[in-house]
Amino acid sequence: MSEHELSEQPLDTEIQTHINGRPIARRVRNRATLAQFLRDDLGLTGTKLSCELQVCGVCSVLVDDRPVSACTYLAVDVDGRQVRTVEGLACNGKLNALQSAFVENFALQCGFCTAGFLMMSTSLLERNPDPSEHEVVEYLDGNICRCTGYEPIVQAVLDAAGRIRAAGTSDD
Amino acid sequence: MLPPFGLARPRSVSAALAELDEDSVPYWGGTELLLAMRMGLIRPRQLVDLKGIAELTEVRIEDGELVLGAGLSHDEVARDPLVAEHAPLLAYAEALVGNARVRAQGTIGGNLCFAEPRSDVATVLSALSAEVRLVAADGTDGADGTDGADGTRERRLDMAAFLLGPYWTDRQPDELLVDVRIPLPVTAGVYLKYQTVERPTVGVAAVARGAAGCRLVVGAVGELPAGFDFEDVASVDAEAIAGELEPTPDLTGSILYKRHVTAVFIRRALAELAEKVSAP
Repeated sequence: MSEHELSEQPLDTEIQTHINGRPIARRVRNRATLAQFLRDDLGLTGTKLSCELQVCGVCSVLVDDRPVSACTYLAVDVDGRQVRTVEGLACNGKLNALQSAFVENFALQCGFCTAGFLMMSTSLLERNPDPSEHEVVEYLDGNICRCTGYEPIVQAVLDAAGRIRAAGTSDD
Repeated sequence: MLPPFGLARPRSVSAALAELDEDSVPYWGGTELLLAMRMGLIRPRQLVDLKGIAELTEVRIEDGELVLGAGLSHDEVARDPLVAEHAPLLAYAEALVGNARVRAQGTIGGNLCFAEPRSDVATVLSALSAEVRLVAADGTDGADGTDGADGTRERRLDMAAFLLGPYWTDRQPDELLVDVRIPLPVTAGVYLKYQTVERPTVGVAAVARGAAGCRLVVGAVGELPAGFDFEDVASVDAEAIAGELEPTPDLTGSILYKRHVTAVFIRRALAELAEKVSAP
């Protein structure tokens, strides 16, 4: 690899984004990941970091409704886009249907993976409001939980899907 | 922590080509590139973000080929109606790549350019006899007779010519992979893989093209997808093919084990293909 001078080129970029509906304008380092931006710059520490290889899923957030690994996604890439994190799920301090289903189905123990599972499950239920058990398992297979053995999580998602359909709205 | 880098955000292919060189590299989903940068394997001066170029996410039928823009995410390919109609095998395989986040971020073109030897996409595209189109800014004014659009030169390569080895393709630093082209029609196709970790141990793709015979490709086991052409499914000797391969021994199995699993999956894939071809 050849020697190169970095000094001539700007290493940061001005971005405008919406995080959980709130407009944010910042100058971010090009090399900052979305996870670093959320946690270190904005104090939104609900999004966790672990494997940093897109394998474990604890950093899952939604960008323009797509699930992404915030550990391997540049903060500059949310410029002009909408970001949703676990902090945006509850409404006025009240857990949403999916969060409530996680609590009531004992779908968490230590809780480290939970934000990621909630965001992936949100993404699943938005594209498929009535998933089969198999479809839930398939969609969540990129998220790792070492406490629950997964079954309570799958049950929680199916439970939430039923509640949201019964309420007749797509619960955000 | 990623190393520092500059960022270009071109809005057209020609603007992107003007930015590309050895140290200024194409960037889209980052699912492979950012990991390689974090590990210190590559340290570009600049990333050329291609996400602002609309034509790189088009899907169309052109001259008897299904043309897929290189910037389509795995999920977009998996859910595209034209892909579902003309190359359902690719839609099926794309829906199985990585996990839902990788499928939402990673692109078909990026996957090919990274040349991960266990890529589902490369195996299936090899079986579909797909070609990639590479475009570069033309300094020579078409003197080599390979003129593309204004001010560009282009070439088309099949998978065997494009993929040179693990993490190694024939793409030159000034070239951009703009689209993937699948010749139509495809009679029937099958993809079967065995996977216990993030990437498959073996992936077998088989494609029938009516009187043109069938093509079998074994991926993930060796350093490159291995292709075999046959007049009909019945003439394939699964053990002989598995015996010819050079499996890479790793945590998912020894050479002996991988040969065995490969033969099993070739047999299953061909049985399924024969069933699909004979179905009314």
